Parts: sequence; C-alpha cells; structure tokens
Amino acid sequence: MKIFSIGVSGLSSAQAALLATSNNISNVYTPGYHREIPVLEQQRVGGVGVGAIQRQFNQFVAAQLNSATSNLSGLDAYHAQVAQIDNLLGSSNTGLAPLLQSFFSSLQDVVASPADPAARMGVIGTANALTAQFRAVDGYLHSMQHSINGQIGNEITGINDTLAQIARLNNEITLAVANRGEAPNALLNQRDAMVNKLAESMDVRVSYLDGVNYSIAMADGKPLVVGGRHFEIEAVMAADDPTRVTVGYDGPAGTPVELGETVFAGGRLGGLMAFRRETLDSVQNGIGLLAASLAHAFNGQHGGGTDLYGNAGGDLFALGAPRLFANDNNSGGAQFSAIFDGTAALSGADYDIRVSDAASGTFVVTRRDTGASFDIALNGANQLAFDGLVLTLDDPAQLVDGDSYLLQPTRNVTRDFANLIRDPGLIAAGQSASSGDNRNALALLDLQNSKVVGGRASLNQAYAGLVSDVGIRTNIAELNLQAQRGFTEQIRVVQQSESGVNLDEEAANLIRYQQYYQANAKIIEVASTLFDTILGVSR
Amino acid sequence: MRISTQTLFGASTATLQRQQAEFLRIGQQLASGQRVLKPSDDPLASSRALEVSQSKAVAEQYAAARVGARNALSQQEQVLNSIGHAITSAKTLAVQAASDTLTPADRASIAAELRGILETVLGQANAADGNGRYLFGGFQDDSPPFVRDGAGAVSYVGDANARNLRIDDARLMAVGDNGITLFQMVQAGAGYVATAAPGNAGNLTFTGPLVLDNSAPDHGSAFTLEFSVAGDSISYSVNGAPAQIWQAGEPVVFGGLSLKLDGVPAAGDSLVVAPSGGVNTDLFATLKNLVDALERPDQTATDKARLRNTLNTSMRELDNALDNILTVRASVGAKLNELDTVDEVAGNRILNYEETLSQLVDFDLVKGISDYSLRQMGLEASQKAFVDITRMSLFNFL
Repeated sequence: MKIFSIGVSGLSSAQAALLATSNNISNVYTPGYHREIPVLEQQRVGGVGVGAIQRQFNQFVAAQLNSATSNLSGLDAYHAQVAQIDNLLGSSNTGLAPLLQSFFSSLQDVVASPADPAARMGVIGTANALTAQFRAVDGYLHSMQHSINGQIGNEITGINDTLAQIARLNNEITLAVANRGEAPNALLNQRDAMVNKLAESMDVRVSYLDGVNYSIAMADGKPLVVGGRHFEIEAVMAADDPTRVTVGYDGPAGTPVELGETVFAGGRLGGLMAFRRETLDSVQNGIGLLAASLAHAFNGQHGGGTDLYGNAGGDLFALGAPRLFANDNNSGGAQFSAIFDGTAALSGADYDIRVSDAASGTFVVTRRDTGASFDIALNGANQLAFDGLVLTLDDPAQLVDGDSYLLQPTRNVTRDFANLIRDPGLIAAGQSASSGDNRNALALLDLQNSKVVGGRASLNQAYAGLVSDVGIRTNIAELNLQAQRGFTEQIRVVQQSESGVNLDEEAANLIRYQQYYQANAKIIEVASTLFDTILGVSR
Repeated sequence: MRISTQTLFGASTATLQRQQAEFLRIGQQLASGQRVLKPSDDPLASSRALEVSQSKAVAEQYAAARVGARNALSQQEQVLNSIGHAITSAKTLAVQAASDTLTPADRASIAAELRGILETVLGQANAADGNGRYLFGGFQDDSPPFVRDGAGAVSYVGDANARNLRIDDARLMAVGDNGITLFQMVQAGAGYVATAAPGNAGNLTFTGPLVLDNSAPDHGSAFTLEFSVAGDSISYSVNGAPAQIWQAGEPVVFGGLSLKLDGVPAAGDSLVVAPSGGVNTDLFATLKNLVDALERPDQTATDKARLRNTLNTSMRELDNALDNILTVRASVGAKLNELDTVDEVAGNRILNYEETLSQLVDFDLVKGISDYSLRQMGLEASQKAFVDITRMSLFNFL
C-alpha cells in the first residue's frame, strides 16, 4: 500500500513545515535569528521528504551590514564623546567667556579707583573664579581622557571574549558538520551574531574560505581568529605617551607589538581613538594655550608695574610646565626638561622630536597638527629653543640616533593654572607706588584686546575659535552619524527582507501547512477506506 | 520586497523617535527663546555670538568707565567753579584795598576776608571724592596734596600726573588735573608781571606793564630794572645794560613794553618785569602775599609804595590764576561734552550688538510657534500610523 507511505511522508513533511513556521513565529524578535524555510523534495519512491531546513542567510549582505555597523558604532562613540564637550565650552554656565569678561571688568574697576581695596579684592575674586573654571574644564577633559583609557580597556576585554567565542563556535560547527554533514542553524546564527558584535567594537575582515570556518583579521591583515585559534589584543600604555592606553597585539609570534591607532578606523574602539586624537587632545591643548597665553601676558605686564608696597609686581598666575616624554623604546637615556620662555608666541600643538644625528646634536622636530617639520641643533647650553619653548638636554653623550621624544607644551598646564595673589596690596596697578597710579592697571586692561594668543588672536577670539572648532566637529559628527544611521538602516532592511520573519507570511504558512497536514491525513483516510473495501471484497 | 515584522516595527518606532526629537527640540527652543542651544547647532553663529557678546561687554565696560569719568569730572568742575568765584572775590577785594582812602582798620578787615578766601581755596584744593581720595594730588591721592608749614606757606606735595581712563576703544581720557596744573601754572598766553624787590627803600610805584610791540627784540624775556641816584638825576639800567636817565613821570620803555613809574626810587631799588610763567605762579603764594602786605602797617611812603606795588603784582597774578582755572574748567566741560557724545554713539553700538546677537542666536517666535504646531501634528500622525500599522495582522482573523 504505497498510498499509505505517501500519506505518511506528507504528514511528517507537513509537521516539519509547521515546526519551521512555529520556530519562525516564536523567534520573530530574536536578534541574530534568520528565517528558516523547509525545503521539500520529491522522493524517488514516491511521496515527499524534507531536504533541509534552510537558513535564509546572505553572506554578502551580512558583510555589508557588519561594515556599516562598524562605522555606525564608531561614529556613535565619537558623537557621544564630542557632544559632552560641545556644551561644556559653549554654555553660559560653564563657559569661560563670561568669567573672562568679569575678570576684565574688575580690572576696569581698579583702573577707575586704583587704591580702592574693594576694587582690588574684586580682581582677586574674579581671577580666582576664572582660574578655577579653567581648572574645572581641564579637569573634565582630563577625566574624559581617563574614561577613554578605561573604555578602550573594556572594549579590548570584550573583543577578546568575542574572539574566543567565535573560535569556539568555529570548532563546534566543524564538529557538527563532520558528524551530521550539515551545520546546526542555531550555532551559525550565534556565530554571525558574534561577528556583528565584534564589528560594533572594531572593524574586521571576515573570510569564509573553507565554507565552514570564519577567519577574522584586522584591517591591516593581522589575524585575530584562524579556525579554532584566536589571537588576543591587549591594552598597553603607548610607548610615546605613558598617560595613554592604546592597543597591543600578541599575534601568532607571541611578541606583543603596539598597533598604530589608524588600524582602527571603525567600531567603538576606532571612534574613541579618533575622538581622542582629533578633538580631545586639541581642545585640551587649546584650553592650555589660552591659560598659558593669559598667564604669560599678565605676568609679563604685571611684573612691569609696582604694587602698593613699592615693589615690582610679582606673578599674577601660576602655570604648569610643558610636558615631555622620552619614548619607552629609546635606546639612549638622554632626558629633556622643558620650560616656557614666557615671551615668544606658543603654537598649542604637540611635537615629535627625533634625534637625527646624535654626534652633532641634531634633531628633527615635527608638529603633530600640521605635520610640518624642521631641523634644529642643540645650542651651546645644550638647549633647543623654538615656538616659545626651551628644552634642556641633561646629557648629550646619551643621545642615540632615532630616539624620539613627545612634547606636549600646553596639554598639562591648566591643572596648575591658579591665581597667586591673595593680598590686594600686591596688585601692581601703578608704575609707581603712588596710590592713585593706574597706568599698569590700564596696560593690563588693554591686554583684553591684544593679540596675546600666539600673536594671532585675543583671548576671547581664541576662545570663540575653540568653541566653533568643537561645535563644527560635533556638527559634522552628528551629520555623519545621521547619514550612517540611514545607510545602516537601509542595509538592515535589505538583510531583514531576506532573513527576517514576517508574521503575516507565517500566519499564511500556518494555514497552508495546516491544510497540507489535513490533506495528507485525508490521503491516509482514503487509503484506509480503500483498504477496508479490499478487505470487504475478500470476505 | 518582503518586509519583516521587525522592520515594520523598527521603522515605525524610528520615525516616531525622530519626530519626538524634533518636537522636543522646538519645544526647548521655544522655552529658552534661543535658536542655538549648543554650539554644534550652529558653530559659526555661536562663535560669532561669543565675539559679539564680548564686544558688547567691552562697550558696557567703557560705559562704566565713562560713568566714573563723568563723576570725577563733574566733581572737579564744581570745585573749579567755586575756586573761580573765590579768585574773583579776591580780585575785587584787592581792588578795594588799592583805594588810598582806606584806614588801616579797613585794610585789616579786607585782609581778614582774603584770609578767609585763602582758606576756602586751600580747602577746595584739598577736596576729596566719596572714597576719601584727594582730587588734585596726581597719583598721590592718599594724603592732602597741599600742606601748610608753620610760617603759613602752602606747598604742593602731590605729583605732576593725571589719571587716565579708557572711555572708548581708542580714547584714553585724563579724568583728573593735578595741583600743579590748577594752582601753580599760568596759561601760555598770559602777559608780563612786574614785581618790586621786597627791599626797595624808595617810594617808587609802577603801573602796567603794557605791551607796545610784541615783535620787539628781547620781547618775551625777563627784565630787571635797577635804579641809581646821582644827586637829582635818577637813572636806570635794564638787565645790566648802560644806565639811562629817567625823567620822573615818564614811562620807561624796553623790550616792547612800557612801564609807568611814579614816586622816587632809592639807589639800588629794583623792579623785575618778567613773563608771568617765569615769576610766582602759585595762587596760594599770591593770596598770602596779599594778606601779608595788607596786614603790614603802612606808616611811611616806602611802606605805602610797597603795598601799592604788591597789590599791582597780585592783581595781575590773580587775573592769570583765574584765566588758568577758567581754561582748565573749559577743558573739563569739553570732556564732559565729549562723554555725552561718546555715550550716545556707544549706546547705538550696544544696541547694534544686541540686535546682531539676537539675529545670531535668538529664536524666531512666529516661525517657531508654527513649526511647533506642525511638528505636533506630524508626531500625532505618526503615532496614529504606528497604531494602525501594528494593529494589522493576519492573526487577527485566524
């Protein structure tokens, strides 16, 4: 009775189809789930069989989605950070502009009544408020640096975890394929979800050469997962800047190397590093440049005046020193110490200093912001002097060709930016000790409109420049983010159109397969009736 | 194209969120009245706004400086006014005292009045502002600039500076004059003053000098006239030049000047005729000389001549002092006028800044309110659409 077996094959196929449909329905909102379709095949002996439960997965769309995800989460991370400093500088509560203005207004009071202790106290008060706000802004930026260091560390931990899981899934899938000839869809879904998660953290290249294993590599080709093995990356302190966490790679060779930041273009890791490199550093430098310019201009002018005790004016503002690091990989032990010369214009940029000829004490200095470089040799006092900075070398004998140093002139100065004067009598308002002499106060007030920042801009212009710079960066990040979000959304729609579950469709399938089941059951009923008829004839 | 159920929900919620974000943003703009809520909304406008608001603040700072300047100058003007009155009264008294009909008692009472004037002027010269800062001491504003020694002589202990205030971008204004400029100086145009030597023994008196020819050689330098007597003949020599005979009653003429002389000099008597800048220019010394001369008894012809000469000299000096005070007062008045002008211009400038600022960052309320309603409708429509779309399901019919 072939008709029986055909009916039974139909029933079990209908069951399998109903199973697939209900699986689709129940997983409609499961992330990483791909729609499954039963592939019905006609049997050679008659009847039907389920060839496979096919996972609707498109490798190319998935790769596109991964790369879009990578870019999106990179821009998202960048934007989340830059939005924090956007309002920090521009808002009327935390911005420096109103405090700068009230400092100058209080100087105006001293110009009007130079001996008035209240006016003098006003200058001390506004100078305290101004420097405190500078330090607060700088403190905030410093804590962002810290937090980025921490976030990079966390990302790296997460990445290593994901890499290990992908390697494990590679193994399990290989095993499953070996045992059953086909991979379990759940494991494949899991692995693809892991790759997508990895793409959120960093941009990777996925290759699927043997049809079973995913091989994962970094943008520059360094392998991360090969078959069942994975190679970890680790958080290391940058060789040129010990305050900065960056990424090291262990690799198959086992010797860790520090990776250049440009390897990480996308993903949260790339976004964080790009934000730090492009925006945070330059804003911190810019704030430091403002503080240093303010301090140098005021200290210089104040020293030219006379306080109420008849002494030359002391420094009004304290300022931190330029920061200089010798590279960890230097083979020589020579060390620099750096100071401001206090008069020449500062640039606010960071500099790389490389020993080009140790014997003659020649260096190549490269500005990090413009990339411009110039040669400079030690002078008789073992000093290098450029751009308002004086660097003193401790021991020229220890210089080695190729050794390098990183100079951050204004990165770290704001932390110690403070008002030094507590006694109102110490304000040098005059150029003589006469109580009514306001000439120096007038000169100090005139600094308001002088081009004291790098010889190019007044304090307020420089500050406005900084605010618009950050504003533009935030604005661009926002626009890029929106564009990327739209693009990613489109790809996701394409991916979903292939792999996503549609409940209406599944509802239709449910009815279809239910009828299919009922029809096959009918076949068995008919077969049974036929069988009974035969039995009746023979009776 | 197949639409997955996730896409259906995802797209609808994304639209809803976008609409909500826009709605919230306009709500915030409406509530704050600001178009630019953070620099990234319009980086260029917000940095421009920072610059404009600094310019505005600086303009306001100058306005505050002008208030201070106006206070100082008005106060100075009042003081100068009363000093001018005092000098005029002193001049009137000196004219009265010159009358020959006065008794010693009359002169004593004039002397007393003049002494009162001297005190008034000294008090005004040591005037202080509300903070106890002396007006006319230059930079030395913490102690009275004019002090009197035991003998009653007044001397200046301030300095020759004047305080400047920046009252506008390119205008530094001196808002105080020091004691030297006010009480120890004469204007460049002031003429000659003749002074009789205090030890003159004769009863020679002078009137003048008058300027005959201001292009004469030596005009502008000081002259000393020395008299010698040989019997009846009286001769004089100018600046040690050969002696000339003086005819009694005749004016003597030298250096383009004419000096009328009366009385008879003793041998060795002398007169100094000098440009007023080269002799006593101190108002206090003038007043003190006047008082001293009036208080001295005038018994002899010599005494009378000395009194007359002192009165003549002092009247010239008082004229010069008054000129000086009036000139300074005029310059103070000019500065006050200038302050008014600058105030007006700067007031316009501040208005312009405010307008620019408002154009840069303020929210256009009319447009804003219509946008607000539009967004509200949009949001409501997409909420309705979301409900409708998600309610549609084949499962509803199973």
